[in-house]
Amino acid sequence: MLEMAIASGKGGVGKSTVSATIAITLAKRRKVIAVDADADAPNMHLILGLGEEWEWEQPYSESMVARIVTEKCIRCGECRAVCPYKAIYVDEEGNYVVNPVICEGCETCSLVCPVKGAIVREKTLSGMLRMTRTKYGFPLISARLEPGRPNSGKLVTEEKTKAKEMTDDDTVIVVDSAAGIGCQVVSSLAGANMAILVVEPTPASFNALKRVHRLTKHFMQPAAVVINKWDMNPDLAGEIEAYARENNLDLLGKIPFDDSIPKSMAMMVPVTEAFPDSPASKALLDVARRVEAILDEWTSWFMRFRPKKPEPYRPIIIKPEGF
Amino acid sequence: MRVAFATEENNGLDSVVSSRFGRARYFVIVDYEGGEVKGYRVEANPGSEARSGAGIKAVQKLINERVNVAVAGSFGPNAMTALEEMGIKHVEMSGITVKEALNRLKDQL
Repeated sequence: MLEMAIASGKGGVGKSTVSATIAITLAKRRKVIAVDADADAPNMHLILGLGEEWEWEQPYSESMVARIVTEKCIRCGECRAVCPYKAIYVDEEGNYVVNPVICEGCETCSLVCPVKGAIVREKTLSGMLRMTRTKYGFPLISARLEPGRPNSGKLVTEEKTKAKEMTDDDTVIVVDSAAGIGCQVVSSLAGANMAILVVEPTPASFNALKRVHRLTKHFMQPAAVVINKWDMNPDLAGEIEAYARENNLDLLGKIPFDDSIPKSMAMMVPVTEAFPDSPASKALLDVARRVEAILDEWTSWFMRFRPKKPEPYRPIIIKPEGF
Repeated sequence: MRVAFATEENNGLDSVVSSRFGRARYFVIVDYEGGEVKGYRVEANPGSEARSGAGIKAVQKLINERVNVAVAGSFGPNAMTALEEMGIKHVEMSGITVKEALNRLKDQL
């Protein structure tokens, strides 16, 4: 089993397009499972031409919120006075009610409530975990969050655990990570054998690439780079190439700007299927073939591109006074 | 010497060491003295249930259990920093059973 995570730091630079192409190409010769680890804005299923029909779907809940039991509540108002999030209001009938969207589950209200059992904590629905089979011969595991629910590393872990339950030794897990370098991205990268970093030649994307690269170095992961829309800014693309060379990142390829990509997205057909002869498709397929070659020569590639020395990413810790 | 192995299964010394630390389901905590296993127990990792801050919760668990060495395939930025702050050694190893890992580690313990 081999797990690869596709990340970028910045959003909207082509992670899912690259992930989809890699998954479709690898699935022709290998067992593949794709994981869409961006539950805030899941889109792999749309790129792969799937609607919202899932083979299975299960509710996912993680956060706890308070609920006031109207029958027991004496309407003293203590809870409403202390709620740090102002999540408790009085409805038209004079009942105290918790707004579950605002409640953070901190339990301050239950601490001050004078009536036993008048405030309970219960799980709320955070989102859905779902799976379906694509017509390209691999299953897709995805998740969808309710508005205002935190996208968490735990949800990504649940997705990856589902994927691993369906795998055997020869399976390749392709994890399309979320943007950023937060909890869910850490969780997408943790345990992955390699990372593919997608970047476009803009200062924002290059900066984000460096930030996510710090994480792959932390995890001692060999990493590769794909430059998307490189011809929009060849000078900066050149700088990114130089960065890749200097930092022992494997440059897998450069995708030209090509309106066949947005067109194919509108059609909900992967660009490599809709416009296989377009310049972007050719470049994407070259990238996917490079990934196949990496898997064929895994050990030597791993040894060559694994960071030579650990560079742990140390969070800045602000200690309380006197600690 | 007390060693905690991150695992996904509750299968004692035959559990496979997990690729990740903070969100592993269990810790197999082994008391190891003079090249011998003196005893072990399996504890749930509170980090696996955390929506965020999993690494820190996992480290807190090991502190409470008075663990000296943590073993997993990878350690996140927060977990690694907290382990080092608390003087808990971390060793990267995964995909083998706790027994095999102990065998490989025995000279370092």
